[in-house]
Amino acid sequence: MQNDKAITVSQITKKFGAVTAVDGIDFEVPRGEFFGFLGPNGAGKTTLIRMLTTILKPTSGQAIVSGFDVAKAPGEVRKHIGVVPQASTSDLDLTGRENMDLYGRFYGIKASERKQRIKTLLDTVGLAQRADDLVATYSGGMRRRLEIARVLVHSPALLFLDEPTIGLDPQSRRVVWDFLRKLTENAVMTIFLTTHYMDEAESLCGRVAIIDTGKIIALGSPAELKANIPGNDIITLALGKAAPPDIVEAVEKLPFAHKIKPEEGGEIRVYVDNGPKDLPALIDAVRAAGGEITSASVHEQSLEDVFIHYTGKSIREEEAKKVSFFIGAGLPQRLGR
Amino acid sequence: MMIKLLAVIERDLKKFRRNPIVLAMSILMPVIYLVILGNSFQGKLTDLPVALVNQDTGPFAKRLVENLMAIQAGPRTFRLVDLTDQQKAVNGVRAGLYKAALIIPEDFSKRMTVAGRPDLGLFLDNTDSISADNIRNLILAAAASLGVDYVPIREVTNQPLLRDINLYPKVDYYQSLVPGVVIMAIFLGTLTTGAFNLVMDRFLGIDESYLLTPLTKADIVSGLIISGLGITMMNAGLVFAVSLLITGIPISRGILNFVPLFIIVALTTLCLLSLMFAILGRIKHPRIVGVLSGFLNVILFFPSGSVYPIASFPGWLKGFAAINPEAYAVDALKSVLFKGAGMMGVIGDIGFLVLFTAVMMTLSIITFKRTL
Repeated sequence: MQNDKAITVSQITKKFGAVTAVDGIDFEVPRGEFFGFLGPNGAGKTTLIRMLTTILKPTSGQAIVSGFDVAKAPGEVRKHIGVVPQASTSDLDLTGRENMDLYGRFYGIKASERKQRIKTLLDTVGLAQRADDLVATYSGGMRRRLEIARVLVHSPALLFLDEPTIGLDPQSRRVVWDFLRKLTENAVMTIFLTTHYMDEAESLCGRVAIIDTGKIIALGSPAELKANIPGNDIITLALGKAAPPDIVEAVEKLPFAHKIKPEEGGEIRVYVDNGPKDLPALIDAVRAAGGEITSASVHEQSLEDVFIHYTGKSIREEEAKKVSFFIGAGLPQRLGR
Repeated sequence: MMIKLLAVIERDLKKFRRNPIVLAMSILMPVIYLVILGNSFQGKLTDLPVALVNQDTGPFAKRLVENLMAIQAGPRTFRLVDLTDQQKAVNGVRAGLYKAALIIPEDFSKRMTVAGRPDLGLFLDNTDSISADNIRNLILAAAASLGVDYVPIREVTNQPLLRDINLYPKVDYYQSLVPGVVIMAIFLGTLTTGAFNLVMDRFLGIDESYLLTPLTKADIVSGLIISGLGITMMNAGLVFAVSLLITGIPISRGILNFVPLFIIVALTTLCLLSLMFAILGRIKHPRIVGVLSGFLNVILFFPSGSVYPIASFPGWLKGFAAINPEAYAVDALKSVLFKGAGMMGVIGDIGFLVLFTAVMMTLSIITFKRTL
């Protein structure tokens, strides 16, 4: 089945007992797109990616990945995709080269071809010098680069990356970003990436879906998403104490203020047309209403503001998956499959 | 495709080779078991302290004491301590100073001669039943010959004479433990290979990356079982050879019976590997393997007949032994090693092991999930 869609998902749902991790999601990813899934931890990103990559069975709904149904032809799907899971998955007792070689063999690639390709990939991710050291001696950034190189051994046209830069230092993150950008430049490569870093989604992705509590709440290019929020800039004023209602009222009366959002800890966020120009008038209005300003900042809207706009909250940690108190983490949590 | 299966096997072997200490331990441990088991059950009791209170001055008491002295001098099972106070002797047993106190009452010799039943008082520390039984039997034997005045020159002909004929070359207790120790080596091998690698991969979170590749369920299960089979059989073979050497079983016997021994060891390994797969198929934490290992070792090893004969078990335990694969494996190894049985002689044991493996293999394919 050849079409121009790398991923087609309709009404996909995953329930863990009473918890619905992914709740009736629909979306499509055309071939060659860099698609991002943005959401806080626990929003359902990993569950979704695991369903799309066949290692978790959907409770209901359908997903077509690389032209094959994930539930009906998981083996075919696996042959055509490359996946970098969130956790580090390199075998520490093996060297970097051995790790890659094993993967090549899992995909049935011939020895000569494997050797050549592994050499090229290790060079590309800058691990050629350390290729024959045990992965146990690698740093976190090196392991991540190895994992990305590893899933490219069989030249997949569709790549899934689950929070590829989680836990990396800023420098390593940038290396990973550059590498991913290069991938999409050189070949027709579809990349599906999940992240909870706004800047990551914004700088890499052509289109972004924002996911919260298992549902897509917004979908579009970063620019489109930002255009949905009133105003262009955001002014954050720190008042030192909780904003009194009369201050909020006074700010709302200003013609350039589109939306005002008091936050905890005495901050107010005001969505305005032009931050630098509107700031003095805003400060005057707050002072006139009896407010004392300890600091003020102006920034352009980012995806974070988009997220806050749609969900009413900032990105934060969510409760992790439950483990039975009596059974503990090592045993199956329930019978059956 | 073969290339995938071989990759799974090679990964396992490579990882194993990088932990040589594990290999050394899995060979050394069963051999240490053999030495410890062999010496903790079969040893002779010596120098058990026994208090003796002789209140009789007659000839029979004298003769009894002589008999006892002979045991003290000969097999040295006990060491006599002469006391005069009966109460002190009994208290001494209570306090743990003596294992027993023997009281010869003052009318002992008199009763012997007038054919009134003579009494001996024996206070035993029966909390140590093995020592107590030994002392009791020796004193009975020492007292038994007191009434006999002469040793008959001619043999008594009206009593049946038992002629025991050993069918097989002599097997001492040490040697009889060898099959059990080999089975133990197999058990330990199957516990740390095969399904255990699955548990470790899950624990380290690297199983996900294997599940994401085109490897099939069959590739994963059979790959792990084949590598486990190779590693475990190599261990078991080394343990077998070392055990033959230190117990003095002729190595030639192992070489002559190589084919049946090889088949039994291979089948037992497969059997236990598939059992572990069925049990550990969904376990995610190595600690659970640790907890299970001690338990499984005891419930499989001790009722296997390798330490003590199955005939001595109560009915329910015999029932368990009847489905215990290690019991069949031990029986088969004993038959081949000590009785020189060929393949046909152990066909029943082999049949059971094959059946058990088939059932467990089916079970493990059902329990093992290809998804997370």
